[in-house]
Order: sequence, then C-alpha cells, then structure tokens
Amino acid sequence: MHKLGRSHRDKVQQFMTITGASEKAALQALKANLYKRYKDPYTDMILVDGITLLCNDIQVDPQDIVMLVLSWHMKASTMCEYSKQEFFTGLQALGIDSLGKFRERIPFMRSELKDEQKFGEIYNFAFGWAKEKGQKSLALDTAIGMWQLLFAEKQWPLVDHWCQFLQARHNKAISRDTWSQLLEFARTVDTSLSNYDAEGAWPYLIDEFVEYLNENGIISNAQSMTDWSKK
Amino acid sequence: MSNQKKRNFQIEAFKHRVVVDPKYAERTWKIIEHAIHEIYNHNASGLSFEELYRNAYNMVLHKFGDKLYSGLVTTMSAHLKEISKSIQVAQGALFLEELNRKWNDHNKALQMIRDILMYMDRTYIPNTRKTPVHELGLNLWRDYIIHSGKIQSRLLSTLLELVHKERTGEVIDRGLMRNIIKMLMDLGSSVYQEDFEKPFLEVSAEFYKVESQKFIECCDCGDYLKKAEIRLNEEIERVAHYLDVKSEAKITNVVEKEMIANHMTRLVQMENSGLVNMLLNDKYEDLGKMYNLFKRVPNGLSMIRDVMTSHLRETGRQLVTDVESSKDPVEFVQRLLDERDKYDKIICQAFSNSKTFQNALNSSFEYFINLNSRSPEFISLFVDDKLRKGLKGVTEEDVEIILDKVMMLFRYLREKDVFEKYYKQHLAKRLLLGKTVCDDAERSLIVKLKTECGYQFTSKLEGMFTDMKTSEDTMQGFYANHPELADGPTLVVQVLTTGSWPTQPTITCNLPTEMATLCEKFRSHYLGTHTGRRLSWQTNMGTADIKATFGKGQKHELNVSTYQMCVLMLFNNSDMLSYKEIEQATEIPTSDLKRCLQSMACVKGKNVLRKEPMSKDIGTDDAFFVNDKFTSKFYKVKIGTVVAQKESEPEKLETRQRVEEDRKPQIEAAVVRIMKSRRVLDHNNVIAEVTKQLQSRFLANPTEIKKRIESLIEREFLERDSADRKVYRYLA
Repeated sequence: MHKLGRSHRDKVQQFMTITGASEKAALQALKANLYKRYKDPYTDMILVDGITLLCNDIQVDPQDIVMLVLSWHMKASTMCEYSKQEFFTGLQALGIDSLGKFRERIPFMRSELKDEQKFGEIYNFAFGWAKEKGQKSLALDTAIGMWQLLFAEKQWPLVDHWCQFLQARHNKAISRDTWSQLLEFARTVDTSLSNYDAEGAWPYLIDEFVEYLNENGIISNAQSMTDWSKK
Repeated sequence: MSNQKKRNFQIEAFKHRVVVDPKYAERTWKIIEHAIHEIYNHNASGLSFEELYRNAYNMVLHKFGDKLYSGLVTTMSAHLKEISKSIQVAQGALFLEELNRKWNDHNKALQMIRDILMYMDRTYIPNTRKTPVHELGLNLWRDYIIHSGKIQSRLLSTLLELVHKERTGEVIDRGLMRNIIKMLMDLGSSVYQEDFEKPFLEVSAEFYKVESQKFIECCDCGDYLKKAEIRLNEEIERVAHYLDVKSEAKITNVVEKEMIANHMTRLVQMENSGLVNMLLNDKYEDLGKMYNLFKRVPNGLSMIRDVMTSHLRETGRQLVTDVESSKDPVEFVQRLLDERDKYDKIICQAFSNSKTFQNALNSSFEYFINLNSRSPEFISLFVDDKLRKGLKGVTEEDVEIILDKVMMLFRYLREKDVFEKYYKQHLAKRLLLGKTVCDDAERSLIVKLKTECGYQFTSKLEGMFTDMKTSEDTMQGFYANHPELADGPTLVVQVLTTGSWPTQPTITCNLPTEMATLCEKFRSHYLGTHTGRRLSWQTNMGTADIKATFGKGQKHELNVSTYQMCVLMLFNNSDMLSYKEIEQATEIPTSDLKRCLQSMACVKGKNVLRKEPMSKDIGTDDAFFVNDKFTSKFYKVKIGTVVAQKESEPEKLETRQRVEEDRKPQIEAAVVRIMKSRRVLDHNNVIAEVTKQLQSRFLANPTEIKKRIESLIEREFLERDSADRKVYRYLA
C-alpha cells in the first residue's frame, strides 16, 4: 500500500473488504470517483464548473499558477477543460488517488516551478495550453496575463516594460517562436542589456523591444551596446 | 744479388744552347724598357715588334718573368706620374681635354705593350696569378691619375659643374663628357659609381629639390607638370648621350621623387589649377601629363583616383539631391548621362582607359545614383520620353547607343525591382495609347534587360507585346465574322492578360448605348472562342475618335479618352447637362470625372464644352453646354490623353508599398531555397546568402529577412536548433 495515510488506508481496506477487490482496482475506483465528482453532467469531460469545484476542494484559487502546473502534468491541451484521459494522466503522474493526496501534492507542485528545467517546460507548455483551439498564435491579452503570472515566479525585472511595450506598439497575437525565445532572452540577457547581441537572431519583436527600451531611456544606450570582448 | 734495372729510354728536350749571361736579363730588360719609353713618347715607329716580342719571350723563358713584370710596373708607374703632373697643370677647360688625350694615348700605348708582352701575359701571369697587362695598365691609370689627390676631386667637380651648366641651359661638349665617362666605366663599375654616379645622384637630388620648391611656389599645376616632364625627358636624354645606361633608372627615380612624389598632394590640391579644376574643365592634356608622371611614383595613381572618386561622388550627390533637377526626370537622367560621358572621355583620353579608373567611376555612380530613391522611376521616365518622341529621326545606331547608355545607368541601380514596376506601368501606357514611336527600339531594350537580368525580368513585358499582337488578330477575326458591323463605329479592343500587365482597379462606367451593344457583341465573340475566360472592360484606359460638328458648321475629329467620349455622347441628346446629370448618366468616378470635364471645358484650344460658371475648377453645381464657338486650326484635335507623369506623393507611396509587398515572397523563396540545400545554417549566414541571391534585383534589408524567417518558423518550414538558438533547421 504505497504512501497511504492511516485514515485513507482504512477506507481502502473498507472498500476492499466490502467489494473483495484488489488494491490496484481499489485505487482505480477511487480515482474514478474523483472524476465522476468533477465531470460535466452532459459531456465526458471536466469543464469550468468542475474545475471550480476541484479548486474549492483542494483549496486553491483557480487563478493560482499551481493550476498551470497541474495542467502540465495532465498534458492538458487547452485551458478550462480536462478530458478524462488527461485527468487520469495527471493523477497518475502525481500519484494522487484521493483529495487528501491531492492537497498534499500542492506544495510539491509549487516547488517544481523553482526547478530551472521544469520551469522551462512548463513555460513552453503554457503557450499551447493558453491559446485558443485551432489558433496558431496566442492572443495578446492572454499572453500578457500568462507572462505576468509566470514571471512573478521567476522574477524577470523587465516583464512590466515588456507588457507595456506590447500593448503600445504591437497589439497583435504572439507567435510560438516569440514566446519561447522570450524565455531565452529573460534567462540569458541581463537587465542592463549589456550582453544583448543585435546579430543574435532574436525575434524581430524582441529587437523592437530593445529599441523601445533605448528610446524611452529605460536602458541607456551605452550599456546596451554589444560587448565585443565577450564574443 | 743481381737487380735487373730496367733502363728506360729517355729522350731529353733539345735545349738551345743559350749562353746564360748574368747580364743577359738586365740587358734584355733595358731594351724593353727603352721601347716602353719610346712608345709613351710617340716614337714607336722606329721599333721592331718582332725583336721586342722575342726579347720578352726569352726573358720569360729563362725564368726572368719576375723581373720583366716588376720592371713593367715600375716603368709604367713612372710614366703615369709624369702624365699626372701634366694633367694637373692644365687650366680650366683644358683639364678635361688633357685628361682625355692622355687617356687615349695611354690606351694606345697599353695595347702595344700588351702585344709585345703577350707571351708573358699568357704564361707567366696565369701561373703566378698576377694581374694581366691590360688590366694592370687600367689599374695603374686609376691609381696614379684618377685617384691622385690633385685630380680626383677636381675631375668630379668639373664633371658635375658641366652637368649643372647643361641643366641651366648652356651647351657643353657632350662628346668629351662621353669619353671621360666611358673612361670611368672602363676602369670598373665601382670606379664609375663611386667616383661619379653616387655624387652625381646626390647633387641632382639637391638640384631638383631646390628647383621643384621654386616651381611649386610660382607655377600652377599644369605648368609645373610640363616643367617636370621636360626635366624628366632631359635626364633621360642625358643618360642616352653620355652616361651609363644603368644610370637611367636611378636618375629618373631622383627626379620622380624630388619633383613629383614630394609634391604630389600639393599639386593635386592646388586651388584653381589642381586635379579637381582639371576635371571640371576637361583639361585632357594636363590630366594626361599628371597621369603619366604620377604613374611613375608609388601611390601616385591611387591618389589621383581617390581625389577623382571623392569629387565625383560629391558632384553626383549634389546632382541627385538637387530639388530643382528632380522636377524634370528627363533632365535629371540626361544630366547623369552627360556626367558619365564626361568622365568616360576623361578616362579614355587622359587616363589611358585604365580599368581601375573605370571601376572607380562605376562605384561612384553606383553610390550616388542610389542616394535618390526615385532614380529607378526617373530612368524609366527618361526611357519613356525617348520611346515616345525623343527617338524620331534618330538613326538605328544612335538609338542603340542611347539605349546602351541607359542600360549602364540601370546597372548601377540597387533597386532594380522598383525600376521594373515603373517600366511596366509606363510601357503599358505607351502600348495602349499607341504612343511608341519606335517599335524596334522598344524590343531592343527588352532584349538588353533580358540579357542583364534574366528571363524572369522580362517575361511579363514580353507578354504585354504578345497581347497587343494577339488583340490585333482577334479584332480581324471579329470583323470577319460580323461583316454587318462594318458600317458602324469601329471598335478596337486590346485584350490584356491580367498577370502580365500592371494591376489596375477595374472601374467601369456607362457606355453610350451604341458602344455598349458593340462591346457586348465582342464579348460574346471572344468568349465563344475562349471559353473559361473572364473579360472585364477597363474603361479608364481607353480612347475614342469622335467626329463632331459645331454650331457654325465647323467639323472636327476629336481624339479623347473613353470617359470623355461618354460625356460628349450625352450631348447628342441634350443641349445642357448639369454636373450631377452627367455623373449619374455615366457613373464615372468623381475625381476622374472632374479631370475629364476640366480638360474639355477649361483648357484653351481644347474647350469643346462650355461651362457655367466660367471658373477654373469643376463644381458640383456647374452646368455644361457644347461650345458652339469652338475653333481650332487643325481638323484633328487631341484632348487631354493621360501621359505618364511623375507620380504624386500618394501614388508614390502606393507603388513603394507594392514593391515592398512583392519583395516579401521573393525573400521567402530565397530563404527556403537556401535552407533546403543547406539543411542547417546559422542566422548570419542565412542573411548573407539571401542578400547575395537577391542582389541582382534589390538590396534586401536584414530586418525584413529576419521577419520572413520568423514567418517561415511560424508556418513550420523552419525551426530553431534545440542546442543553438541562432541556428535554423529546414523542416522537410
């Protein structure tokens, strides 16, 4: 019986005694119960209401970034809905078979954001998850929301300027390449832009952003020049 | 012990039984010594060569070679000392003459002595490795005469003084100089160099330093160059006449350095006479002189080239950015052609057609032509002007020459695709309005463009010509099939293939009934033979010839645009029409209608209509009448055809936008081509390769290329490499 708490173990035992099922099956049944709790009455999916209920149960705000991490574990294709498959994948990945377990896993999921590698995966996952089904690009508002959420965890000082810039100058959807390259940019280029390489094959939008920072005196020009000695 | 000795026969040389008289050697020597004295005293005629030769021979034979040789040295030295004295006392000009004479004497004497002592020369001397007689004679001359204290410096200064005299214009005895110099040369190249050439070069350098300084203060550039050339030639001639030929390069170097190299910059930059002035005033001769002289010194030509280039670039830049000249495109281009002709001539006549100068010319033109973004448009307008009227009466060869010159300017353009766009527009107008004066010239230019830029560039243009021809055939077919229409208005339709012609918005208007039915008949005829095609009438591009009779019976044939025809035909049914009525009836777009009415009511000599009120502009409340008082000298009157004008600002922007739009797919195609063949390539190399591929059409902007790459990533043609984000991979 892996990692079952005392009361939980009792329940499972109870279940097994009553139904005469194996441990594994018992666990499966418990998971299925969870699913049934949240699934939409008319479709075989968990929709907004179900998710709200879930959030309630695990005492997490639906806007909390941990929901993103959860969705990542589930490999959910789009936000605000989980298929049956996705739900079970998530539970499996996290080793959850009860609400209690669920709640216990929350701190773990938060900690995953601190892991550089995982954060990268979650960040890149977020693009596909947040965008509209059938669209290639991510709507600007959603993108900005996601960035603010994500960079609150990772601390990129330029994130506000970035969002302001986009609203003032770009006003269009964000491509996948721009999304993923932005993380690289945030990771590798320091906030004074001293190691920004104008020939560094950054997406055009990011080049424009650098220009914007220079124009508005946010970064002084001298600092943003390429340091040739570092090449 | 018996040793059998072998006794060989020995044959001994027959020895002359000569009495070896102890005084023999001395006696014999005295005979020879006496002979030498006589020879030096010009008394050789009394001597017997045979006897002397025999005596010398015997001395050597009897091993008295040493005595003979040392005697010779002593005797000759003594004579030379005497000779030296006699030369030293010579006064003034006689010094050199005396030297020369004594040298000749010495040579003659030496020859005779050498002949006498030939046996010694050939046997004793090689064996003892002593100096041969002739050489000995020269060395002794050198030591006792030339290097004698009293003669050496005097000789040098005399020679140098004579050279100086000649340089200042006096005549000197060149023959004497030649002999003396030859003497030095005969004494050995080191003697010539040390005792004459080196000091000569030093003194010459000093001389030319002073002279060049003097000249440059008081002469202008052209004069200075003349003087320098004269001096240079003088020195060359001097060498030819009396110096060693090897000195030529050395002395010319001196002149080149002192007169040219040291003053190069100052000469070139001389105000009012320097290089720039020469270029401006086509001073071919002076320029040629400068070229030939500067060619001789290091960096001379590159200095000329650099000054020419920067001057040309500046002139060109001013020409091209001058607001006034931009007002008349034909003038603008003509000035460019003239400028190019000017420099071509300069390079041909003065700079010996040097390739490097040609290249400098080309790069300068390329630089400033592209400073004005309207250059492509203007060149097209120039061609348009020529093909419309400028080539009437010009011979075929001259036509080719003009077109070739235009092609030269074309090659300098970086934005060739902009030229193509304008050319297409202008060509379309020319073809449709029948404005081409010279069909051969049109085609010739297309061929030249094709040779320069490839088939792709001209395929659409050729399509336009084909359409015109095909339309002719179609019209013939139409009238053949409809003989009943022969009496009505003559219709001429040009069917244009959409892809080949510049895109035009399709605007139709209401044609007069007769025309409308005729057009319909044509449409059905055409579609009958070409199913699956769609025809749209371009009423904004046509023309019409109308016969009109005015109030006093004057008849005229009017050549008008289609729009104008529609308006005029209305007056067959009404005497007066208001603007609004005309607008309603014809449905011509407002701005076109206004221009159309203006050209018929407000232009002197073309006012077939009368307008109330008689203002210059067309107002929406105006009323129009036929102008019964219309008169014209000519029977045929042409009214306001649309000429290819310089674009207005909004049109210009539009064309530029379209060009930019057209470039995007070309850039993408280039990126895909490159990535497909390379599979993996880093960002900077992609930019470089794409720019290179598109060079012949336009200069690709790296930022634009980057945007296209991102678009291709978006559409999953490419991806970034997972390890290095600056590298792209092609996705099959």
